[in-house]
Amino acid sequence: MVWIESMLTISKESWEIIVADACAAYPRECCGVLLGELDPADDDLRTATVAIPCRNAHQEGRNDRFFIHPDDQLAAQKRARAEGLEVLGFFHSHPDEHAYFSATDLANSLHWYSNVVVSVRKGELAGAACFRVNEEKTHAETEDLVHPG
Amino acid sequence: MPRIFIPAPLRQYAGGAKEVDVAGATVGEALGALTARHGDLKKHLYNDEGRLRSFVNVYLNDEDIRYLDKEASAVGESDTLSIVPSIAGGR
Ligand SMILES: [Zn+2]
Repeated sequence: MVWIESMLTISKESWEIIVADACAAYPRECCGVLLGELDPADDDLRTATVAIPCRNAHQEGRNDRFFIHPDDQLAAQKRARAEGLEVLGFFHSHPDEHAYFSATDLANSLHWYSNVVVSVRKGELAGAACFRVNEEKTHAETEDLVHPG
Repeated sequence: MPRIFIPAPLRQYAGGAKEVDVAGATVGEALGALTARHGDLKKHLYNDEGRLRSFVNVYLNDEDIRYLDKEASAVGESDTLSIVPSIAGGR
């Protein structure tokens, strides 16, 4: 038996929204919120069924930064409650970079949440990965990511 | 009583609660009642100087309290408070 520590499965509809948002934002970073369900027996087994693109509120005009507009995150929290879902985490893109979790990502993240990073090269999807961080924000661990082709 | 919604990462410090109803006439009093009941939450919401951490956004209904009267903002019986963590990054 394979022991799965933590896994995020993304629905087809959500995945298509994430990829479309990442490609549309290129060469800027996109960002958004993932809603979905936790396995009743295990908080670390998650299924994202809703992806909500958010405004990138980063102010300094850099292409390599994102800041999820807090108003949009509040709206996502409300939608999650209304639909009986949970805010599972977030997604953002890395234009012309691979799908890793940077020091800046780590410093501005929060434990528990799943963090999906998609790589976009020349405007097209080039990879994806998911990360979870520790409480101290000193370390990111890869989370198994399952998404449609 | 005002209701405070707790985001999932912080529920483990609030006895697993998704929402907590607290007494309080201001945002500061309501949050104070929350952390009095769930002491472990305090260090996640406040810094060592006792100020709300910069990455913690608090909303009174649909308004960020920074654009209201901050922690002195008045809360009513049917108001809700939401804790919204700042999420950002970059490569
Ligand atoms: Zn990043």
